[in-house]
Amino acid sequence: MPAVINMSPKGMSLIEAPINKPLRIVDIAGGESVRRRLLAIGFHKGDVVELDSLAILKGPILVRSSPSDMRIALGRGIARKITVEVLDGRP
Amino acid sequence: MAGRDAPTVIFIGQPNCGKSTLFNSIAGLKAETSNFPGTTVKHTHSRVSIEGRLLDIIDLPGTYSLCPSDPAEKTALSHLFSEKPDLIINVVDASVLGRSLEFTLELIELGWPMVVALNMMDLAEKRGIKIDAGKLGLLLGVPVVPIIASRGRGVKELLDEGFKVLELDEKPGPGRRTWSRDVESRVEELVGLFPPEFPIVANRRFMAVKMIEANRLFCDAMLGELEPGLKAEVDRVRRGIESGRSAPAYEIISAERHHQALKIAEESSRMERGRKVPWDRKVDDVIMHPFYGYFILAAVFMAFFFLIFKIGNPLETFLLKPFTSINHDLGRHFGSNILFHIADGIVLGIGGGIAIVLPYFVPLLIFMAFLEDFGYLARAGFLLDTFMHRIGLHGKSVGPFILGFGCNVPAIVSTRILESKRDRIITSLLIPFIPCSARTTVILALVAFYLGPWMALGFYILNILLVAILGRVIASFTKAPSPGLILEIPTLKRPSLNNILKKTYFQLRSFLAFAWPLLIAGSVFLSLLQSFHIDRTINAVLSPLVAGALGLPRELGVTLVFGFLRKELSLIMMLQALGIGHQGLLTVISKEQLLVFTVFVSFFIPCLSTFAVLWKELGRKIAFLSAALSISVAILLSWIIRVFY
Repeated sequence: MPAVINMSPKGMSLIEAPINKPLRIVDIAGGESVRRRLLAIGFHKGDVVELDSLAILKGPILVRSSPSDMRIALGRGIARKITVEVLDGRP
Repeated sequence: MAGRDAPTVIFIGQPNCGKSTLFNSIAGLKAETSNFPGTTVKHTHSRVSIEGRLLDIIDLPGTYSLCPSDPAEKTALSHLFSEKPDLIINVVDASVLGRSLEFTLELIELGWPMVVALNMMDLAEKRGIKIDAGKLGLLLGVPVVPIIASRGRGVKELLDEGFKVLELDEKPGPGRRTWSRDVESRVEELVGLFPPEFPIVANRRFMAVKMIEANRLFCDAMLGELEPGLKAEVDRVRRGIESGRSAPAYEIISAERHHQALKIAEESSRMERGRKVPWDRKVDDVIMHPFYGYFILAAVFMAFFFLIFKIGNPLETFLLKPFTSINHDLGRHFGSNILFHIADGIVLGIGGGIAIVLPYFVPLLIFMAFLEDFGYLARAGFLLDTFMHRIGLHGKSVGPFILGFGCNVPAIVSTRILESKRDRIITSLLIPFIPCSARTTVILALVAFYLGPWMALGFYILNILLVAILGRVIASFTKAPSPGLILEIPTLKRPSLNNILKKTYFQLRSFLAFAWPLLIAGSVFLSLLQSFHIDRTINAVLSPLVAGALGLPRELGVTLVFGFLRKELSLIMMLQALGIGHQGLLTVISKEQLLVFTVFVSFFIPCLSTFAVLWKELGRKIAFLSAALSISVAILLSWIIRVFY
């Protein structure tokens, strides 16, 4: 077993991320209103989140935010604009 | 206390923090509660007397921050400033402490007297979060009172603490909490630049921060007109903050609060590790399952329909009997003079309420209240988001739509939770096509009763399909795409019987107080019209539409006039207009005619209250557009049924 599986050098979008793995938000792109909304609801750059599930038929995704233990449904269009990196096991 | 006005206390907090539940336990039954973000979209005002002291208490819509992004949040903000409260009670959901404290910190910046109500302590404890309220209070610099609003715990202590703060002679100064040096020094710089006569809201630091982070909301344009020099300085300071961290200023300031909030939450609470998964997570895994979730959604819908039908149908049959015999007795007693008509109208009105409306209406209200309290609406929003996209909307509109099954009026008001104006208009135009409880009742009482439950279910499903098609058509006329779904999924809650009954009573009361008297008055009025033969004139005027276009007995024309007041009036008064008893209906009109009539009445115009609320919320143009849309759809559908049935 390799000692450290380092986080992927490049981030990936939230919809491509693995399910139930701790992820760190690297970047939030998109328009100002969407970004403000995400900030207000408690979604910040640097936060650790987990992808809970993806609805079928290009439906929304369900994300759990670790710092506050809350869940948010995000449309795919918005989720695509959130870049995350996989953390290496340690929280 | 004559001469002295009562102090104003504002309840403010993030959506779904239990603010309305707390407000209700203090004010009595005033605000509606549910487990869906954004139920309180208007503010609720109430004057209460607590231990002999008067208070003006105000419940504001839930808002995530003081930089609002939807109309409901704007309401919260404008009231916060216009009321100039003597005390702010910030309700905080203890189970998501870190996130909620961000808003608390923003409120503390106002420097106004404030108490934090740390709500849902039971939920937090179940999640393994132990919060030291005293320590939290010390860290925040404001009193913190742990409460469980749903069970009324801690409410007295909260009010006592509130009174204590109100009695303080010296108001607390602005929050002493400071941010990272690079941001803080710029804020201080801007504070120093305000001209001496400059109007200040709350305090100078608060003004400076808001000018930097919420430029568009805090009248950038006006500032440019009045104080062009200061406007230039604000822009310069903002650029200074941004260049240091290469991010927009609003993001930097939000991040400052975020980190402080998380730190305070961490220092004042303890997570117990290794606890077993709580029940709501297990249930959620099933009902939000990407595959089974949809089966459950369909099952809930079918259960909704059949349960109400199975309860309502035998009750309707049972309750109709005495009214039919009363009608015969009246005929024998009075002959056919004017007294008979009045008495007959009263009996028909009361009978329509008791035997046709209540058997279906009450179970429907209970079922809706259960779903709301449980927290299913947000889950339905998640599951249906993808389908809503096909009709040009997104999952957040599901909430207003589902409320529309109860009553269209609050549903249209609740579209204020939608951020984009476009989404609000489309959703509001579609809501009048959602079968509200009154129409569902009629569909069940007439279509299911006379034509069978499957027919009624088919009607219902076609109705929903119609909403989808219309949504698609309306969306194709608007260009800007919807920004997409951002919806918090609140924790599932064990529905409390008390809450469900309260909510049912709340809705039922407004039916008993408003709709039923109208139904009785309408019946009497129709009776009188018949006794003076005025109904014939109205019928003759409407005859080209009723008899010509729809192929219905012309006697039904007069009921359409009442249908504008409330939809169920037309359908219930149909029997009266045709002058027959409940058993004889199908001898006078055919099944096809019954269906055409139901379809036409269901859609031909939004009811008076819906029309009024559309006008008020979105303007005259939208209200008339909605009416025109309804009439076209009603005529088209009626015609389709006549051709294909």
